[in-house]
Amino acid sequence: MTRTRWMFAWFGVLFILLIIVFPMYWGLRTSLTENGVLDFVPGRLTLMHYDGLFAGGFLTNIQNSLIISMGTITFTLPIALMSGYALARFDFPGKRFSAVLLVLPLLPAIAVLVPLILYMRGLGIYNTLYSVILAGTVFALPYCTWMIRGFMLSIPREIEEAALIDGCGPIKALFSIAIPLAAPGLISVAIFTLISAWNNYLFSFAFTTKRELQVVPAALLGFITAWGNNYGGMNAGAVVAILPPLIFFLIFQKWFIQGILAGSSK
Amino acid sequence: MASVSKPLSEQPAREQPATRLMKGLRRNALPYILLLPLVVILISFLAIPFISLIYYSLQRTELGVGNVFVGLANFNILLHESRFAANLTATLVYLAGVLVLSVPMAYFAAVLISSNRRGVGGIRTIFLIPWVLAPVVTALLFRTMLDPQSGPITIAMSWLLGHPFYLTLSEEGSRLLIVLHSAWRSFPLEMLLIAAGITSIPQELYEAAKVDGAGLWQQFRRITLPLTRIPLFSAVLLISVYTVQDAEGVYALTQGGPGYGTEVTGVRLFKEAFLYFNIGFASSIGIALITLSVLVIVIYFRILGQGEKA
Repeated sequence: MTRTRWMFAWFGVLFILLIIVFPMYWGLRTSLTENGVLDFVPGRLTLMHYDGLFAGGFLTNIQNSLIISMGTITFTLPIALMSGYALARFDFPGKRFSAVLLVLPLLPAIAVLVPLILYMRGLGIYNTLYSVILAGTVFALPYCTWMIRGFMLSIPREIEEAALIDGCGPIKALFSIAIPLAAPGLISVAIFTLISAWNNYLFSFAFTTKRELQVVPAALLGFITAWGNNYGGMNAGAVVAILPPLIFFLIFQKWFIQGILAGSSK
Repeated sequence: MASVSKPLSEQPAREQPATRLMKGLRRNALPYILLLPLVVILISFLAIPFISLIYYSLQRTELGVGNVFVGLANFNILLHESRFAANLTATLVYLAGVLVLSVPMAYFAAVLISSNRRGVGGIRTIFLIPWVLAPVVTALLFRTMLDPQSGPITIAMSWLLGHPFYLTLSEEGSRLLIVLHSAWRSFPLEMLLIAAGITSIPQELYEAAKVDGAGLWQQFRRITLPLTRIPLFSAVLLISVYTVQDAEGVYALTQGGPGYGTEVTGVRLFKEAFLYFNIGFASSIGIALITLSVLVIVIYFRILGQGEKA
């Protein structure tokens, strides 16, 4: 009885593993073989698709993705930290409106992008990386603030109160006590924001029209319509797009998972 | 001691309301200052654009003329348009398909990774990978596997069925494709939330059930399922909202075709806004999409509320 049960469980595990790993294996395999070779394990490997990709200016797209991810986190984290701390540690009139932060991430960003395009034109930053960083920050803030608020609530208030009694100001208490104690939570928020910013293509697609300003996923979307059957080239781009978030996730996964669970349960 | 504390407690009552307000503001100034950047950003880049969205939805973009005020004409066109009806149908089929496929798979995987066996941590990590990859990228991987000529799945299925198998050429096939892709991407998050619920169930409940002679299925139905109701609920809510709004995954896979078969509401909005630059019409679809999302949220909370009462 138990033996059949475990057989069943392991069959399930293997099945899901296969479903997850196969598409990624096939993508990697396709990027390393000549187009038209369909062997499951190819005999000869080639880097021709990667050469073609980088000769076509893909490095600029990678650079854009890096600038936008770093830019988004640079603006999001301090603002979310200040607001999250205020919501976790102070009582003040109007605080109940903070529930809006929980609802905002559930609404479609794509809908508000339409008027935002005209906004960015008005601000003179349409077709620049600034508009993509700005939009990334705006849409990351509600969720990040709410997660940081949760982490701040989970660290005991007493330590800060003791410091306040000893004559330490609230700003100093934030920097020398609350931030170090909430560090694991802050790291998970930072990783989540970085991965989301790296993966996002919508803002880049909406606010920039030139290829040399696009991020990696937006450039890949362009390949799909322009390159047709050049699967080797497209998958080489896909592998490059996958690597940073995958490596990041594998290194920091414990914090990442904790962060998601803390953010979604509170 | 009592004589000292008495006047202190009476003091606020004697103060003028205006001074009390000033005192309250001074004491409360810090949280407002800390929140100021967030509030300014959300008002200027979410609230005001949202109002502009409503305003633009009442206009039509006409070549040479610019924007013309047309009242509710855009919504009138939308409601009577067969293409928009097809968009809504595709969205509902997409949502239903993703939930039907991903939720049981997520539940099964959650039960698997919640056990304390060795190696479970590594399996959990691999199970989570689809969710950290960009939708455009995973769509590209799926396209590669299902290409009519060179896709390994196409070739294997054609060989198994004995006749050519082209998933992307028929409406049903394309719908199946976007559902498979989205379910593949969605199940890790659902699994993570459900697994967190399962691990928080006290082990004693299962031991007591075993003593009472409950089988595995009974334990699952009477303990695991009811006690993971809330995480299951939040997982389904999150995935439903994301699926209803999805544009990029579907657009990268099928561009909405063949015909309008997989043109979900998000893809329609994407096309009207970023390919045809129909700002007025796109805005009215944007409002429809927001309404749809709010509807989903309200329905789920209704269901949760009824469950609570029962």
